[in-house]
Order: sequence, then structure tokens, then C-alpha cells
Amino acid sequence: MTVLVLTCEEDLTADMVVTILHDRGVPLVRLDPADLPGRVALSADYAHHAFHGYLKADERMVSLRSLRSIWVRRPGTPGTRAEEQSAWLATEAEHALYGMLTCTPARWMNHPVAAAQARYKPWQLHLAQQSGFTIPPTLITTFPSDARQFATTHRDLVVKSVSGKHPSEPPMVLPTTRIGPDVDFTGVAASPTLLQRHIHKQADIRLTCVGGRLFAARKQADPDEVDSRFTQNAAWKPTEVPDTVRRSVAAYLRLAQLSYGAFDFAEDREGSWWFLECNQGGQFGFVQLDTDQPIAQAIATWLAEEPA
Amino acid sequence: MRPFALSYARPAVTPSSAAPYTYDAARQLNVLPDGRPATSSRAVLLATGTTASTAGSKTHFDD
Repeated sequence: MTVLVLTCEEDLTADMVVTILHDRGVPLVRLDPADLPGRVALSADYAHHAFHGYLKADERMVSLRSLRSIWVRRPGTPGTRAEEQSAWLATEAEHALYGMLTCTPARWMNHPVAAAQARYKPWQLHLAQQSGFTIPPTLITTFPSDARQFATTHRDLVVKSVSGKHPSEPPMVLPTTRIGPDVDFTGVAASPTLLQRHIHKQADIRLTCVGGRLFAARKQADPDEVDSRFTQNAAWKPTEVPDTVRRSVAAYLRLAQLSYGAFDFAEDREGSWWFLECNQGGQFGFVQLDTDQPIAQAIATWLAEEPA
Repeated sequence: MRPFALSYARPAVTPSSAAPYTYDAARQLNVLPDGRPATSSRAVLLATGTTASTAGSKTHFDD
């Protein structure tokens, strides 16, 4: 049976797993949905109370019934490399591809429905509370008066993107940024704004979960550092996962129906882990490079398992 | 009115050079000019930054 990898060509992180699957002799097909239609083609028929379909990627053909797992890494939007692009075509291609794939018994990392839900950061915070994590007090609002009140209560805040995305026109980055209580919150009315109590951290924690396997990494933080993604001051090192966190992670992934998740925590000066977010498709290459934790191997092992 | 959060945005840094690897459709992975898998070079992995969790790359953001 075959592993299907959905990602863009330049995805070196996917290469880390593909190489292992090759070494283990596991058949795989890698394609970018952006190439449908074109280099990627598909067909499926629903007749006589049965479903049959296949995919073609360059010169490779695979029956949908023979898929053992589907890894959604960094896929392009279906239809976006077609000769004549349109929003309509993109929708048609997306519905055809993902609609067919969800008819198969293949295991997903992660299922598109679960992934779409899991991207909502407000929902992540809610789920984290339900799962027993400790989260920083957080406000998402378009009311400047609510923002001012929140700032008065908590004093030391950070602001971050609600979606986790960055402005693209023009290309900008929006790091999690520390703000004081006396800033002008008038602009809160112009867009939903996420404010959070600043956690004085001594380290960042990245906890990568593959099926039931946990890989925790810790990076010492500078006292003034807020967003470690934009600093290169320390290396990630393996660390242990507290039992309470381990239980909460299991609950979170079960409730979210995720087979993969990359959790970010801030470790405070007492050593407590504060939940910040869970990236359902979070990167792992940078952790593996620093720590030598076998995350790519664990993903390959999960993908290579046969469907139940 | 400018959204509050955008007051703290700054220009994205775009990569200054092309990636030193190309996709090999037959092998279904990226290769170096000498044919080795790109992942065999730790220097390439570190230099390209494509495995990092920084938010500057269009295709390699955390999700």
C-alpha cells in the first residue's frame, strides 16, 4: 500500500520523511495539489454501490483504495498552477481531490476537517482549557474599551495575530509584541485584536506530537525576549514532559482528532508551562536539527502503518 | 483606521539567494547539484532556513 504526501516541491522538511520511507521500501506518491489539473490528474467513479478512483502524478498512478495514509504537509491550493486559473477552477479541483481522498480508508495526518478546525486559535485556547492546560489570560476584541480594561487589569501584555498569519500586501511579519498598558487602543476597532498577558518566561518549549509519541524541546530565552521565532540566541535541547502536560496533550489531540500537533509553551520562572498554541501542521525540522530527536522517523513510522 | 496589531508589523525579509537544490520528480525529493539528497547536507538545511519555524516563508509557515 502507498503513502500519499501532499506538499509543495521545495518542502525540504517533507524530504526528511520521504528519504526514510524510501529507505524502508515504503511505496509513496508525492504531489502538490496546485498541479491539479496538469501534472496531477484524477478520476473516480461511483457506481454499483462501489467507489473506485485513482490519482496520477507525473508518471505515477495510484489507486485510491491502495492508500494507507495521507500526509498533508504544505500543499498548494488545488488548481493554482493550471493554464487558465480561476477561483472557480480552484474550488472545483479542491472539491474533487479532497472529496475523493476522504472516501478512502487511509489514515490522515491530519484530516482536512480536523485541520481546518484546529487552525482557529480562539478554539485552540478553548480546547486547551478543556484539556487542563494553563493558558495566559487572553482577550480577542474589536472594542477599544474592552482592550483598555484588559490592559488596566493585566498591565503587561503582548499582541499577536488572531490567525497566526502575516500581512502579505506588502509582505510583512507580525511578531508577538510586548505592549504597555498606556498605548492607544483606538485601532482595535479596525480589526479583531488578540491581547494576552505577557508571561515572563525563562524558556520556550516546543512539544511535537506524532501519534502517541511526544518530542519535547526547550530553548533558553533571554529575559527581554518575547517571540523566539525571530531570535537565534540559543539552541533547542531535549527536555522531559511533565505528567500533567502529557495528560493534557493526550486529551487535546483526542478532542481535536489530530494525529500530529506541535505545541508551543512558555516556561515561566517557576518552571510551569503555559499553553500558547498548537500548530496542527507545525514545523519539526528545526527541532530535529538541534536535538537529533527522531521526529521524521516517527512520522515515517506512523505513515507506514497499515489502515485498521 | 489602521488595525491595532499592524502597528507592530515590520517588513518581511526575503531570501537573498536561490535555493541550492532542485526537485527531482523521479526520486520525489530535492537534490543537490551533485545528485545527493538535499537533506543529506546539514549546512543546506540550516542555510536555507526552510525547516525553521520563522514566519517569513510563504510555504513554510507554522500552521
